[in-house]
Amino acid sequence: MENQTFYYDNKIVKYFAYATLFWGVIGMVVGLLLALQLIWPDLSFGIPYTTFGRIRPIHTNAVIFAFVGNGMFTGIYYSLQRLCKARMFSDILSQINFWGWQLIIVLAAVSFACGMTVGKEYAELEWPIDILVALIWVVFGWNMFGTIIKRRTSHLYVAIWFYIATFVTIAILHITNSIAIPVNLFKSYPVYAGVQDALVQWWYGHNAVAFFLTTPFLGLMYYYLPKAANRPIYSYRLSIVHFWALIFMYIWAGPHHLIYSALPNWAQSLGIVFSVALIAPSWGGMVNGLLTLRGAWDKVREDPVLKFMVVAVTAYGMSTFEGPMMSTKTVNAISHFTDWTVGHAHIGALGWNGFMTFAVLYWLLPRIFRTKLYSTSMANAHFWIGTIGIIFYAVPLYWGAITQFSMWKEFTQEGFLKYPNFLETVTQLKPMYMARALGGGLYIVGTVLGLYNLILTVKGGNFLAEEAASAPALVSTSHTGESKHRWLERNPVPFLIVALLAVLVGGLIEIVPLYLIKSNVPTIASVKPYTPLELQGRDIYVREGCYTCHSQQVRPFRSETERYGEYAKAGEYVYDHPFQWGSKRNGPDLSREGVVNGKQYKPNSWHYNHMENPQKLNAQSIMPSYKWLLGDKLDISTTPRKIRIMQYLGVPYPEGFDKVANQDLMNQAQGIVDDLKIQGIQTTPDREIIAVIAYLQRLGKDVHAADQTAGIAPLK
Amino acid sequence: MEINDNKSIEMDELTNEKLLSGHEYDGIRELDNRLPRWWVWLFITSIVWAVVYVFVYDVFKVAPHQQEEYKNEMAAIGGGSQAQQAMAADTAGLVQLTAQANLDAGKATWNRLCIACHLAGGQGLVGPNLTDNFSIHGCGYKDIVNIITVGQPDKGMISWKAQLTRDQILDVASFVATLSGTNPPNPKAPQGDPCK
Ligand code: HEC
Ligand code: HEC
Repeated sequence: MENQTFYYDNKIVKYFAYATLFWGVIGMVVGLLLALQLIWPDLSFGIPYTTFGRIRPIHTNAVIFAFVGNGMFTGIYYSLQRLCKARMFSDILSQINFWGWQLIIVLAAVSFACGMTVGKEYAELEWPIDILVALIWVVFGWNMFGTIIKRRTSHLYVAIWFYIATFVTIAILHITNSIAIPVNLFKSYPVYAGVQDALVQWWYGHNAVAFFLTTPFLGLMYYYLPKAANRPIYSYRLSIVHFWALIFMYIWAGPHHLIYSALPNWAQSLGIVFSVALIAPSWGGMVNGLLTLRGAWDKVREDPVLKFMVVAVTAYGMSTFEGPMMSTKTVNAISHFTDWTVGHAHIGALGWNGFMTFAVLYWLLPRIFRTKLYSTSMANAHFWIGTIGIIFYAVPLYWGAITQFSMWKEFTQEGFLKYPNFLETVTQLKPMYMARALGGGLYIVGTVLGLYNLILTVKGGNFLAEEAASAPALVSTSHTGESKHRWLERNPVPFLIVALLAVLVGGLIEIVPLYLIKSNVPTIASVKPYTPLELQGRDIYVREGCYTCHSQQVRPFRSETERYGEYAKAGEYVYDHPFQWGSKRNGPDLSREGVVNGKQYKPNSWHYNHMENPQKLNAQSIMPSYKWLLGDKLDISTTPRKIRIMQYLGVPYPEGFDKVANQDLMNQAQGIVDDLKIQGIQTTPDREIIAVIAYLQRLGKDVHAADQTAGIAPLK
Repeated sequence: MEINDNKSIEMDELTNEKLLSGHEYDGIRELDNRLPRWWVWLFITSIVWAVVYVFVYDVFKVAPHQQEEYKNEMAAIGGGSQAQQAMAADTAGLVQLTAQANLDAGKATWNRLCIACHLAGGQGLVGPNLTDNFSIHGCGYKDIVNIITVGQPDKGMISWKAQLTRDQILDVASFVATLSGTNPPNPKAPQGDPCK
């Protein structure tokens, strides 16, 4: 067997590493701005592009897909080549992967700032960018598989199993969840509605956590941790069992985002049980990582890379325990819609993903620059500041969550809500929000220190773009007596297919019945399609990202029905493309806002004033001003097409309604304008604010009307 | 289970555990350790729990789902604030409260729930000015109690009886009555009829 000489492509690794750091800082700074806006709403600066609802998707997407995403590519492009003993399959594909991904990020940031959003968390991108994401993802997979096919090693290492699972599953999730019908280049309607949209979205959302933030990073752990510690992996068998268990079971757990919602009970139960049963498969990764360090703990004390990894893996273990706990009914009943979820997410993002990414960068950049890390003590400082930052971030949010749900649920002896004004439960949190912002700020300080250290490392180094390596070509030898899994490890295509089947089962069993079995979404006769004006208003609600602060899902608890009104029913959302249930409440639930005899009802003039300047009505409010809605003209040129798409999606507007829709829209708008006029407010029917008011005044009305008709528990 | 590809046995020096031969990936080796027992038990227990859970909740349906839980919760408290709903807007025999404690309590309620529409000084914005000598629903104390209790929802003043106790309503009404004639800045134009 003759050795072949070949070259690893370090340039692409370098590119991704730089992009990771660049977007990391940006994503985190936007996060800090959001944290501050929740204390001082004026930091929205009174312009649309920087309001909370528009920049929150920038933050979440930048951190997940730009920072962690580029970090993942960095780690994969470096390790995959070495694990396959081969250069990347195609330099051109590598370049397309890199530049395409950065282009997506830029387009995403700009489009979110401009209010182009689908309104589904972590899947906000509009359809043209969605298509680009799919294409670039395929390029990545193609490049990866090409490399795997032309590898010079016989078996695939466990890290690569995780990379493969990442590739196939993200492709399926992204495409399934993004199916939508375009209104124009900048706006589309998801084909799913209401409960179904919610289920598909959280099947996606939860598994984006699983297959974008977890599996690739477990893969990275399996490569970089034993490398840095110079220790063998603790248990190959554990790798096998926890890998397959993890990918098979993760996919089922999505409904745990929808507990005590209008999702059918059986689907909630599946989400709950699979989440709890996921503890062991998740911990398998942690155990295998930490036990690999046996005999290397003295190194952990010295080496910042290992320190970052130990905290990362520990944070992973913590959040994969906390997550299942939050999936139980008992905990979810109190934690959901509070900042607990946000704290939980950040243990994962800052601890697991962030620290693992830094560990990889600290390990790999000095290597490809053929030098030592510029300063170990600076890296240690980064480690400590970052760790304290995480604690300062998470603990106040947990504390705040406990404070808030206690206030939401507290009754007086007479049987009244102790805090009927939702805002009081928010004002109470301001000190916690300040502490959280401090924690986030510290984390950023650490990151900047790391950036500085790495820049100096790079400056002092000597970049090795083409790293020579040699290995014999792969020749087929007999593998008599090998285990079935060993066989699979030699055969990437069958491996891919088995992984694909493993992730398909759960998704199909949960999602398909929701379409086929009518009883899962019992219809409510009084629930009628939105009027054209309300539909336009709803689209503005989506555009402005109101769902980032407001839920539209009253849970079946006394504390909720007392505050808002009748609890949520599946049938009331059947015309909602997309659903807007939200995932946290910085403001009150809005799904009963329009019920005239309800607890929250406000007249048109209130909404007008409130959208212009929330603090004028509630001095303590943290809702940003939306004053441009008062001046901006509503684009009604889209109405006919919107109506036609809705009809196509099964919304029962009468035949030919698209032609008269704008007439209907104007009539309704005139009615609101007339009412405002009586209240001394002069405006015209063609303003966006009118559509928003129409939408808000519609919320909950139909379910309330069901009271008089049939088939539903009466409103109190 | 034998997973070694060939029979030569190598040991890890630090732990003296068996290394898998043929498992070498860019210098990374793998040990042939069993799954940790506690981990296996954790896994088995959680799966058993999961199966039992689904049977209890969704096959035999012996534990309550959210709808029944809600019914039980509401039954247990016997209607809660709904009991108040029965409370008629009976104003017979009511007199304005003047004790400082009542006015303070009334003011607290006012600041929590009313200023979003009537503004802090009662000068009005969305809701009418409560400081001038005009009124839609009547200027007397009993009229004020009445409107707060039953509301005028279609005009934007909800009924507060589901959120305030009778005593709280009397307190806040008494406080509102003291606003009359206070002349706060930027008053809303008069609405309704002049008070006698
Ligand atoms: C930063 C978080 C935040 C965002 C974003 C936000 N809100 Fe709010 N919203 C609040 C808070 C806090 C309150 C309660 C205080 C108040 O009334 O201003 C509130 C109250 C409301 C209320 C009154 C609810 C009630 O019954 O008391 C409405 C209606 C409302 N918001 C609509 C919207 C709309 C429409 C959007 C998007 C255009 C939006 N909000 C965006 C935080 C937010
Ligand atoms: C959502 C806005 C809103 C809130 C909150 C609100 N009100 Fe009102 N209130 C109104 C409106 C609008 C009217 C006028 C109703 C009408 O035109 O019939 C009104 C009328 C009144 C009146 C009668 C005024 C008259 O001219 O006859 C009183 C008294 C009053 N409110 C007291 C209160 C008190 C006390 C609270 C707090 C518990 C409160 N309001 C909270 C909007 C509000």
